[in-house]
Amino acid sequence: MNQQSKLNPQEQEQAQHQAGAEQTQQAAAREFATPEELLRHDALHTPVPPAIAHRLAESIGKPAPRPLPWWRRLFGGSNT
Amino acid sequence: MSRPLARANSPLEALRDSKFAEIYNEHSKAIFYLALRLLSDPEKAEDATHDVFLKAFRKMDQFRGESSWRTWLYRITINHCRNLQQGWNERHMFSNADEAIWETTAAKSDSPLRVLETKELGQRIQKALDGLPPEYRLLLLLVADEQMSYEEVGALTEQTADAVRGKLHRARKAFTALFEKTA
Repeated sequence: MNQQSKLNPQEQEQAQHQAGAEQTQQAAAREFATPEELLRHDALHTPVPPAIAHRLAESIGKPAPRPLPWWRRLFGGSNT
Repeated sequence: MSRPLARANSPLEALRDSKFAEIYNEHSKAIFYLALRLLSDPEKAEDATHDVFLKAFRKMDQFRGESSWRTWLYRITINHCRNLQQGWNERHMFSNADEAIWETTAAKSDSPLRVLETKELGQRIQKALDGLPPEYRLLLLLVADEQMSYEEVGALTEQTADAVRGKLHRARKAFTALFEKTA
């Protein structure tokens, strides 16, 4: 009788996977009272790329670029 | 004046144990996040964070302590991102003329935001922020930082703390409406 409801190993695995995924989704569901709370949470989970510190340390070791002359600041132009 | 740092085996070692390293460690997360959400682009945010801290390093001796380091760094970041967006904004961003739309949206500012913590959450947040008028976006991002008082946010956005409080209500409402649409 019960045999009809029994699942083969592949189906069982699939069902377990699905149940697991649902459980994970339920566990991960969160409620934020305000947008700021949501943003705080997002900020907390947004890592700073480590490359920035490396680049920064390299840039700091180089001399600062000379300021642009007034006429280039006035009429546009870049340091490069 | 900026001083060249002593030679070290790796770039990171050069920054270690300096006052600047302390500042970087304490504030880089907040600065990167603000740049990321203002520029909507991780690569541009990385460049901007680098440029902001380099500028801060070169101007450290001009810091008078009239504001906190965080406020000072935020000011540099906001100006830097504004410069980057000049021209670009006009071509790509929403117009503030649509601001009245937020007054008629169904979303309530006090309704909680229910989310599933997925990889897409950041994208949904970005999408909602991108749809906001730039002033609302900046206000929400600054107020979300618990280190910032309404007075400090007001000083950064050139308005009174009361004006910040007033606009914040509309900003929350607008964000909630846009965020719900991203689901």
